[in-house]
Amino acid sequence: MTVARRPSPAGARRANRANRANRAGVVAEIAARRLRDIQPILDALGRAELRRRVAVASPPRPFAERLAAPGLQLIAEIKRASPSAGRIAAASEDIVARARAYQAGGAAAISVLCEPNWFGGSVQDMATVRAAVSVPVLAKEFVVTAAQLDLLRGQGADAVLLLASVLSPAKLARFVDRALELGLEPLVEAHDEREIEAALATSARVIGINNRDLRTLEVDPERAIRLRARVPDDRLVIGESGVREPATIRTWRAVGFDAALVGEALVRAGDPEDATRAFVAAGRPSTDIVERSRLPFVKICGVTDLAGAEAAIRAGADAIGLNLVPGTPRALELEEAATLARGIRAMAPSGRRTEVVAITVDRSAEELAEIATALDVDAVQLSGNESPALLAQLTRPAWKVLHLPRSVDNATAAAQPVIQRAREFLAAGAARILLDTSGGLYPGGTGARADAQLAAAIAHEVPVILAGGLGPANVAAALRDVPAVGVDVASGTEAPILVGQRPRKDPLKVALFAKRARQARADRPNLPAGPRIAEPGLLEADDAGRWGMEREFGGRYIPETLMAAVVQLQNAYDQLRHDPVFWSELRDLLATFAGRPTPLYRADHLAARVLERARAAATGGAVPHALRLYLKREDLAHTGAHKINNALGQALLTRRLGKTRVIAETGAGQHGVATATACALLGLPCVVYMGAEDIERQQPNVLRMRALGAEVRAVHSGSATLKDAINEAMRDWVTNVRTTHYVLGSAMGPHPYPTIVRDLQRRIGDEAAVQLQAVEGRLPDLAIACVGGGSNAIGLLSRFIGEPSVRLAVAEAAGDGIATGRHAAALAGGTPGILHGARSMMLQDRDGQVVEAVSASAGLDYPGVGPQLSALHSARRLELAASTDDDAFEAMAYTAETEGILPALETAHAIAALPRLLAGTEGSGVAYPAEALVVLGFSGRGDKDLASFGRWRERQTGTVAAGGELPR
Amino acid sequence: MSPTAIGSAGAARIQGAFARANAQGRVALVPYVVAGYPDADTSFEAALACIDNGADLLEVGLPYSDPLADGATLQRASSAALKAGATFDHSIELVRRIARARPAVPLVPMCYANQVIGGGDGRDAAKRLAEAGASGIIVADLTPDEGGAFERVAREAGLAVVYLVAPTTAPERRRMIAERSSGFLYCVSLVGVTGARASLPSDVAKLVREVRAASPVPVGVGFGVSRPAHVRALAKAGADGVIVASALVDALGEDGRDVAAVGRLVASLVEAGARSTA
Repeated sequence: MTVARRPSPAGARRANRANRANRAGVVAEIAARRLRDIQPILDALGRAELRRRVAVASPPRPFAERLAAPGLQLIAEIKRASPSAGRIAAASEDIVARARAYQAGGAAAISVLCEPNWFGGSVQDMATVRAAVSVPVLAKEFVVTAAQLDLLRGQGADAVLLLASVLSPAKLARFVDRALELGLEPLVEAHDEREIEAALATSARVIGINNRDLRTLEVDPERAIRLRARVPDDRLVIGESGVREPATIRTWRAVGFDAALVGEALVRAGDPEDATRAFVAAGRPSTDIVERSRLPFVKICGVTDLAGAEAAIRAGADAIGLNLVPGTPRALELEEAATLARGIRAMAPSGRRTEVVAITVDRSAEELAEIATALDVDAVQLSGNESPALLAQLTRPAWKVLHLPRSVDNATAAAQPVIQRAREFLAAGAARILLDTSGGLYPGGTGARADAQLAAAIAHEVPVILAGGLGPANVAAALRDVPAVGVDVASGTEAPILVGQRPRKDPLKVALFAKRARQARADRPNLPAGPRIAEPGLLEADDAGRWGMEREFGGRYIPETLMAAVVQLQNAYDQLRHDPVFWSELRDLLATFAGRPTPLYRADHLAARVLERARAAATGGAVPHALRLYLKREDLAHTGAHKINNALGQALLTRRLGKTRVIAETGAGQHGVATATACALLGLPCVVYMGAEDIERQQPNVLRMRALGAEVRAVHSGSATLKDAINEAMRDWVTNVRTTHYVLGSAMGPHPYPTIVRDLQRRIGDEAAVQLQAVEGRLPDLAIACVGGGSNAIGLLSRFIGEPSVRLAVAEAAGDGIATGRHAAALAGGTPGILHGARSMMLQDRDGQVVEAVSASAGLDYPGVGPQLSALHSARRLELAASTDDDAFEAMAYTAETEGILPALETAHAIAALPRLLAGTEGSGVAYPAEALVVLGFSGRGDKDLASFGRWRERQTGTVAAGGELPR
Repeated sequence: MSPTAIGSAGAARIQGAFARANAQGRVALVPYVVAGYPDADTSFEAALACIDNGADLLEVGLPYSDPLADGATLQRASSAALKAGATFDHSIELVRRIARARPAVPLVPMCYANQVIGGGDGRDAAKRLAEAGASGIIVADLTPDEGGAFERVAREAGLAVVYLVAPTTAPERRRMIAERSSGFLYCVSLVGVTGARASLPSDVAKLVREVRAASPVPVGVGFGVSRPAHVRALAKAGADGVIVASALVDALGEDGRDVAAVGRLVASLVEAGARSTA
């Protein structure tokens, strides 16, 4: 094929500049030319011929349905030239080979340029590609007259581009309808608010947002991201132009694009198949274990035929509801339902069970038994006024629907009876609770909000599935507002109802509903995904950063000079806290760079030793017979401790804040090493403040920081340990606040630091819970961690605060023993006060002078603790234990010997405390189950402590010179 | 009397001192002594030397273990005072001695939040300081965001709570802080910690003018102020007062006992503050 009278690319650019003042610009020129060229061809063919060609064309391949699959789909483009880039492929380019390479690489669809003069394409190119592949093909055409649609479909096109910048709103709507009639999926492309409005006014199911302004050809890489939210979730959304690397695809997936159209980057790539594969991989939904555990349960209800069931199964629905309520629109006869249920079983892919649920209202136990048997259901749903007593008589699991009032004045108060009722049913054995409103939960308008609050108040307390009024457009918002564990949809996924016919599912709506539900909380790890049964003050800070039942901890006590920086940090973090782009980028780094998820390891030998010691320590109380002890191996994270989780997050945050320099404090050196590492990775200069005494006892980490390019500044003031390093870092920050971000290492300090660091460390517990569920099928009886400032402790415990069955404990550093007054136990031995920007428990004298902490462990040698832990302690939600230096060194020894794992001295404090907790001599004293399940935050590796450990051991064996002191 | 009326007692004394200096054509000079540095008696003598050489108000620094807004000089002095046995009780006693010896000059202790508020609301500390003769209090790590409760108890005790604004404080926030500040408003001259500087930031005059325009109470400028030239510049910029701390502690010498040098420095700074020369 030849390119006839194509203006040179330079000519196109000149035209572009000339036309910049003209609103119509380049695109209008192309469109006008296209009309001139194509009209004679269409006229020559005639309407009858066009119609005949459409009739005999290969049936359209489902384009929209492909894009509704989970994740972001790649539409790979074939083009030979473009006005912005000029000629980008040889005219002799083998487009068939290229198309096949795209398909082999996993592209969901292929786009082919049909415009000859500027893009060197042709309708014939499109037809050639269509014949060579099995995926749908998008005709990238400048459609200026309706007959082009017939021509393209007749040549096999499955989808067609319609430009909102070229067509008037009326014409656009008309072309969309015509294309849909032809089975040609219209992709309406817009590039600004006005064009999006025009696109949304049509029946188009697929909207494209182009980063490129077709009038000026300029690309704004943020445009599509900015405009994404303008398209409601019930349309499919494609991002176009400016994708150069897979990272952009990940960002687009995170912000909710269903597909990306990638052209130039693929055309220019050496191996199109490999390049395609890399883009496709970046678009896949996350396989992260925590992300997967947070996916909502999706039930497609009111399925009336096998096609509907197939759509549900293809969408990956967790359950299908068959309606057996006589007189309702979707009601099935018993026989009919039984046949459908058998069909569903036959269709369901192996390895994945789609539960079949029979929907009933006020049936007797006998009737329910008959239904259950006839359909062989997985559960019966009780949607009427059944009583909890009925559940005892049922042969199958029961799901109970509770009806909510449509609007309420006081959500908290109105929630109480519903929560009560739900708990009665759960206690009676109900497998699931559904919340339904007759009028719909999100009908829009003013009445909806109170209902969402009511549902949220209930969902915070009991696991519920949200139903009523949901559809693809609102399900994501509903799941973000309400921490429900699942969603249920019936009418929201149906095709328009035909008079006299039973409602039927629209497969695209079913797929989109499931996709939107699963996207709702993806890459938003700080949105609750289920109940958290705890006082709000124990879970989150209020607006002033205060924690606790009386909001008595936390806050922001800092010099005024720092206030602007802290407020800037808070504003930035308010934006980022639920920003999926930030969290997906961080998760990717944590996985590929830091080695997450870290393993959960069952330490049987150590458990035996711990039990032995527990029995020896017991003073009469019951000690568990068996202990399954799981170590959450943060020592295996990059740099050897949990600190990397926070450091990477805050280094990314530094970039978002637009700051160019990082400072940090460090005690044991782990946070310093982690921060130096993150800064090396992101190219940020880094200064670490470290107490002179800590520099002495943690030499290996000092050398590591320096090797990583950080400047380590010794702090000689005060006790020359962690607290003084923090003072000095704050002084640096006060002085350099305009350019510098302070990467605080623990979940302490002025608001919002305790929240930021907790959010960045919560992955420890989130992962541990999922990993433990996988091997034990339940949550632990006890979660324990060592505590200094508390980032590792709150990171592990956070996940379990709202789980009343899980006991929480921390092990503080008792130094020489709490009774000696020489310790670092701020919770057990401290009082409330203000230290380093927040009110919390701390070691101080009666004048409020900070008392120096004493511990051999540099990481725990701190006189304060984070405010959330103080709040948990004060509310008696946290049990305390304390381990002396000797206890910890000893635990270091027996952990290394029994398990082959050398713990950090900090970690060893938690291990050492466990026997006393299990024996009941420390902590609440309440006995543990006979078979206790414990997860322990194994916060770091012990290499850095080997010198101290060696000296301790020498002293134990009496070989050290007289007067040798315990190392600190 | 209502709490507000009582509260205005300390504030009125402070504002009165600024007004007197202004009437005499001077910028008010606010020197600073560290209570108990190098010992109780010497710090008392240093305080008198400041007052007798023309101080209009006196700041009394309460030594703290973790003074994170302070530079090397005040850290060292604070730490030495604590090592020498300084306590809150001793500081109260020092304030009482100074107040009795020189009742005309308002005393404004400066401290950190944990020393006066800690785990409570600061009621006890405010009451004791006021009873000892303090007119106001400056808490280095307390802003109006967290200061509401303390302001109430301080007001009940008759103690003015002086807040700080910094060069990083946004204009609307400056106004808010100025309106909440009682007695005077402490304008931090530079982005950084306390400590004598050879020169002040070039834009300090602009800062002072803007802060003063936003403040219903007199504006005292501190941090880095150490030389007569600084005082002259700040007087010219329209400051109502200047606060000099680290330079005076430096003047006390290595052993902290050169009280005469403190007196001389204060006298020279007072002289530099005469507006008639400007």
